[in-house]
Amino acid sequence: MTSTLDTAEAAEAKAPGRLRRLLPLFGSLQSYIGLVLIFAAGVATKGDVFLNQTNLTNAVGNFSSRGILAVGVTLVIITAGIDLSVGSLMGFASMAAAMMLFHHDMPVWQIVPLCMLIGAAFGFVNGAGTSWLRIQSFVMTLAMLSIARGLDRQMSDNASVGTTVAGPDGKLTENSASFQGLGTPGHNVLVGVLGPDGIYFPVLAFVLVCVVFHLLLSRTRFGRHVYAVGGNPTAARLSGINVTFVVIAVFTLSGMLAGFAGPIDAAYSASADPMAGNGYELDAIAAAVIGGASLAGGKGTIAGTFVGALILTLLDNVLGLNAVSDNWQLVIKGSIVVFAVVLQRPDLLRGAGRRLGRRFGKTPPSEEKTA
Amino acid sequence: MTSSAPPLLAMRGIAKSFPGVRALSGVDLTVHAGEVVALLGENGAGKSTLMNILAGVHADYEGSILRDGEPVPLHSPRDAARHGIAMIHQELNLVPELSVAENVFLGREPTTARGTVRRREMEERTTRLLAGLGLDLPPRRALKHCQIAERQLIEVAKALSLDVRILVMDEPTSALADAEVRRLHAVIRGLTARGVGVVYISHRLEELEEIADSVTVLRDGVCTGRRAMAETSRAELVRLMVGRPLDELYPRRPAQAPAAPPRLSVRGLRLPSVGGGPALHGIDLTVAPGEIVGLAGLMGAGRTEVLQSLFGHYGARASGEFTLDGRAYRPRSPGQAIRRGLALVAEDRKAQSLVLGNTVRFNASLAALGRFGTPWRTVRRRREAAAVRGQLDALAVRTPGMEVPAGQLSGGNQQKVVLAKCLLTEPGLLLMDEPTRGIDIGAKAQIHTLMDRLAQQGTAILAVSSELPELIGMCDRILVLCEGRLTGEFHRDPARGPVADEESLLTAAMARRTVAEAPKTAVVDPGAGPAVPAPRAGGPAARGGGADSSRGGPEEANEDEESGA
Repeated sequence: MTSTLDTAEAAEAKAPGRLRRLLPLFGSLQSYIGLVLIFAAGVATKGDVFLNQTNLTNAVGNFSSRGILAVGVTLVIITAGIDLSVGSLMGFASMAAAMMLFHHDMPVWQIVPLCMLIGAAFGFVNGAGTSWLRIQSFVMTLAMLSIARGLDRQMSDNASVGTTVAGPDGKLTENSASFQGLGTPGHNVLVGVLGPDGIYFPVLAFVLVCVVFHLLLSRTRFGRHVYAVGGNPTAARLSGINVTFVVIAVFTLSGMLAGFAGPIDAAYSASADPMAGNGYELDAIAAAVIGGASLAGGKGTIAGTFVGALILTLLDNVLGLNAVSDNWQLVIKGSIVVFAVVLQRPDLLRGAGRRLGRRFGKTPPSEEKTA
Repeated sequence: MTSSAPPLLAMRGIAKSFPGVRALSGVDLTVHAGEVVALLGENGAGKSTLMNILAGVHADYEGSILRDGEPVPLHSPRDAARHGIAMIHQELNLVPELSVAENVFLGREPTTARGTVRRREMEERTTRLLAGLGLDLPPRRALKHCQIAERQLIEVAKALSLDVRILVMDEPTSALADAEVRRLHAVIRGLTARGVGVVYISHRLEELEEIADSVTVLRDGVCTGRRAMAETSRAELVRLMVGRPLDELYPRRPAQAPAAPPRLSVRGLRLPSVGGGPALHGIDLTVAPGEIVGLAGLMGAGRTEVLQSLFGHYGARASGEFTLDGRAYRPRSPGQAIRRGLALVAEDRKAQSLVLGNTVRFNASLAALGRFGTPWRTVRRRREAAAVRGQLDALAVRTPGMEVPAGQLSGGNQQKVVLAKCLLTEPGLLLMDEPTRGIDIGAKAQIHTLMDRLAQQGTAILAVSSELPELIGMCDRILVLCEGRLTGEFHRDPARGPVADEESLLTAAMARRTVAEAPKTAVVDPGAGPAVPAPRAGGPAARGGGADSSRGGPEEANEDEESGA
């Protein structure tokens, strides 16, 4: 009764121990290859412009808010849920951040935690609706997508709020300047420690979030519980896991990360747009899926999502540099998602081939004898 | 069997490989019309692969299959259906959300000229088919509200609605209680009388003696013997199957003196019917350290519900007085139960116990992660690996390693992983629900040995089983349930009370109250305070309220008929 899937995985499991331990760190091997391919394509078409450090930094910076969302979404997807609201939550948080800065002149170290708290609160509602009211997470977060966007636009009166606030002397106020540090290149975090300009904060934030959540998922009891709940909720419950808590926690964490991405996104665009983050949830989900997460639950890693996000980032960048129109970029991005999923599950392709072959009445001779 | 006509089905020289595994080589199987051929073998011997080839699941195989002497290619389930071959899988292939009738006619719904489904005709035919199997079920009931035994018969009905000539049954009785097995066997005899050939896979030897005409034994993908059932013995079959004589399937040492006070004592356990399941009406029981107590009863008698109630699965819906290790115990959640030293081997290891896609290690340590914790709530993975390895070794789990997905192990080894998971929590009271269901005889004996060893070490065990020989062989005491009430208590030690034998257990298991009697006792019931819902009458029978009452009647009538026969 061994299915093809089982045996394919068995073969993988027999790979040498070292490789087996390292592979998960890079997500699946296929997505790693994909990353290299896209990188090569960038070098081949736009060599110097592409490899330019500023270009790469900007590319990652541009995507990092979505990357952070993708980490939260990965958590939710592993529990067999989905979070469609992250884009709207991020938009709400970016607007809230801009308004705190613009109207109340709050310092950045107050703004960021407050935004995370706001995001977490929204996320908690998602989780509560999903686990207590038993609303399917797709529906619950779809509703939240709409609710958060509506609140965002109502709060802002449908107008953008700038985050570059000039003081009476015509220069940026102190709080505005430090807020902008969240999203603009140049003199930034860890100045002198790593290069003369330090590290571009969005990149640092994305990497940091990935590391923290990778450790959370792979090293802690909570991480194990997340996988168990996604893999088999009944077994999880009968193993003494508080399934309700885990579900609420992952949605809350996902919301919290959206709240964290908000100020970064606002600083990056130097303003909060009422429609900021629109559609970001799809990029976030795509990154998780390219990274090997399964919407059926129980599968996925932060490392994979990290690679998935990088693939989407570089893809955006390479296509942009080559002046491919936005419309075609969307088509290509969608195709890459399908391609990535098929690559990760070669058995799907084999199965489809066999089914088609049988439908047309001929079994490929190669499959007659060997399995 | 000696007729000159070609056999109904002949499989010749069948071989099949999976990457890295030779599942079958040179296997022959012959089925004559009206014959029941038992297919026997340990898990992993290749029975399921052979039957999947017959059912057209595996498109690529070596060897030939002859139907009435004509070679037939079987490359898809559709091919199999065209040649009158139907298979009832171990894991039933039914859609829980659809009704009984819709399931029976799934994909072959009778339609009108306009293309709409003729629902009434479908339901009438379903009712007739089910009646032929002695099952009285409303055809519109959603399948998810049917019990496993009922689903099994629905699968049979589905096969019968096709013009089936060869019926393959893969462990049809693994989920059935003995009385239901008898009903199924009667159905099978009806089929063979009509010339249908049946291939019957089961691990229960005593069952094969009753139903099979001949038996084919597989071991490690090779045919090790073909015997007429009448000319063989259990001992011989076991030897053919495992390649060695099996000296003791039930290694329970003589009962110990249960001098210690009970580890668990329960008084008046009540549970309202949850989602159409059975309710419990005041059950008293005790389990002492070192004692193995069995729970017997038919499907739906409430055996699983007793275990689940104790384990906190139903939370506060389960009421009663519980004392655990001399302290009051209130089952609230499985997590709390585990902290209080309970562990549950659930009924369905795939659905309830294992995360199949995750590794053996992940599964084994899941309930006991706290033991490997740091103050940061991270997992000490070395310590975890060492503990898991220790358990896997102690249980002789056959696995390529700890990092293999649990879904890749055979049934018996999966069950051992479940046991390892329970034992890693170091339980004082082990609840086991069908601990040896659907696993091969070698693994079964090992699990029995383990139960005995745990009892010797002072663990209290409460075990549910549908196999009476297992209960009689392993338990110090057997409690019999019927319709959520205790109807009998039997002992291993004749000095302490009536001794358990199959007949007395079955009698007690079928000691149903008549419909007239039930409400009377419900009123008299002394334990029923205002807070406790009266049995049958109340309870938050969520959506099943109506369906429930409609079910009680016909089923009961049906059972009475049977016990009379």
